[in-house]
Amino acid sequence: MIFVIVEHRDNKLRPITNELLVFATRAGRDFNQPVTAVVLGSGVTSLVDELKTRKIDRIVVADNGALAEYSPDTYVHVLKGILDGEKPFLVAAGQSTQGLDFMPRLAAALRRPLIAGSVEYEKDGERLVLTRQVFNAKMNMKTIPRGDPPYLTTVSPGAFPGDEVEMGGNPQVVAVDVNLSGVPARRRVVERSEAAKGKADLTSAPIIVAGGRGLKQKENFSLIFELAEALGGAVGASRPVVDAEWLPREYQIGSSGQTVAPKLYFAVGISGAIQHLVGMQSARCIVAINKDSEAPIFKIAHYGIVDDLFKVVPALTKLVKDLKG
Amino acid sequence: MKIIACIKPVPDPSSRLIINDSKTWIKEQELTFVASEADNYALEEALRLKEKHGGEVVVISLGGDGAAKVLRSGLATGADRAIHLLDDKFHGGDESGTAEAIAAAIRKDGGADLALAGIQSDDLGTGSTGVMLAEFLGWAHVTVVIAVDAKPETQTLTAKRELEAGLIETVEAGLPAVLTIQYGINQPRYASLKGIMAAKKKPFAVWNAADLGLSDAQVGAAGATYDVKEIFVPEKKSRVEIFGGSPEEAVSKLVEKLRKEAKVL
Repeated sequence: MIFVIVEHRDNKLRPITNELLVFATRAGRDFNQPVTAVVLGSGVTSLVDELKTRKIDRIVVADNGALAEYSPDTYVHVLKGILDGEKPFLVAAGQSTQGLDFMPRLAAALRRPLIAGSVEYEKDGERLVLTRQVFNAKMNMKTIPRGDPPYLTTVSPGAFPGDEVEMGGNPQVVAVDVNLSGVPARRRVVERSEAAKGKADLTSAPIIVAGGRGLKQKENFSLIFELAEALGGAVGASRPVVDAEWLPREYQIGSSGQTVAPKLYFAVGISGAIQHLVGMQSARCIVAINKDSEAPIFKIAHYGIVDDLFKVVPALTKLVKDLKG
Repeated sequence: MKIIACIKPVPDPSSRLIINDSKTWIKEQELTFVASEADNYALEEALRLKEKHGGEVVVISLGGDGAAKVLRSGLATGADRAIHLLDDKFHGGDESGTAEAIAAAIRKDGGADLALAGIQSDDLGTGSTGVMLAEFLGWAHVTVVIAVDAKPETQTLTAKRELEAGLIETVEAGLPAVLTIQYGINQPRYASLKGIMAAKKKPFAVWNAADLGLSDAQVGAAGATYDVKEIFVPEKKSRVEIFGGSPEEAVSKLVEKLRKEAKVL
């Protein structure tokens, strides 16, 4: 069995969940392992109904009031109980702020391998090989978990295409009783709030238009906002833009900002320092607009225009608007 | 408060990395090692907590000469003591082995109120060692921390953690606790000349696996939970297609491709 730990918030599946299901379905086919989605939460009927439409074999549900808010203590306790009984081959969660919060703890508690940040897998004989990025994505590392299953992995956002999730299954739903007495309450959520008003959700935006130093001054960023608005996308920025205080920090994409994997990414006036590339190189389609043909961004871009952005961007915005109009 | 700051030595980001002959890691011999960037924020936060609440900051690092170097630098920046986990047997260890060795060192040192580490390292970058450390110690933990308010009088802390989609989660946790610190939480200070001089007189412990009560099978490559099959430089995904002509011509060819070929518009 391959277990997918379903990630959800505010009664909605997080985008990473479909990506995990795609990974699990493909790996499940290669290793002849059925796929089970595991849902922890409170009042999760609608989530389970949505998961039932996916082509998976089973859904294990732990529905309990004490699981209403995510906590690493309850997650580790409940999952440890389920894994001890089920003995799956592989357990996959997202390399998200939730997955990286409980999976290492679960791995340490079970004393089983955790391959964190997987981007690909392969079959080497009967052995599972998981590949992850190291040295800020300058290199890849192929790893083989040791010993007996279960093996644990967190899968990087954007590594598998969530929109290719297979539909039309008829999974069996299994409810498990959870006993949360004796779980140490080491940590509790006090509140959740928005970081800043009007901040775009860059991690789930399908289209991002990002601007860099090539825009020359703060006022020129209006070109980026206009193109993003025409495309129905979000705005991002490289680190120099944020350091120069043209835009607040929450717009920053890269190693010290957000990691994004949209289907379409425009890098405008961004040279492509490695710190920026690690935050966006998983985008499905990358368009670079830069007057310097030697800029490193062109090494990872799929399409490019080598010209003055102050001429190209307005022309692009106008064309997109005309097509929509 | 007694605060531990975990610092990982990593190759200087500007260095050229060369894969070793067995293709399992990089050649480390001629590299310059520095503290992993995120750990600088963790150390700075530890120093600020000490300035506010009193107590001491102890820096811990596992590794060879690179670890000794980042520890000396931590002392020069303001930490009070250093613990260097040094043993050839540690070589080839993974996140779990490192976490177990640090947990043993903290226990040997009499425990602590807080242990801070960077959110992820510049080499493996998995962000898991700090969380494993918390499990091995049986402590609370908070990841992706962007603000900390410690309350030693009630043995609790309040921390803000950064979630996806611009959400900030405020949590309360009991002490002792492990925190993994997000980039940019503070502005790390630099060592002063006075600090560099003072660092030479500060306590600097060196402990090996036996000192920590760890067997050969628990540490280094022998204790690792996975094998490294290969590391390699990934091939570039695609060759860029450049559209020329006037700006109007170029964008119209681009949009055509995005709609018909890439199917993303």
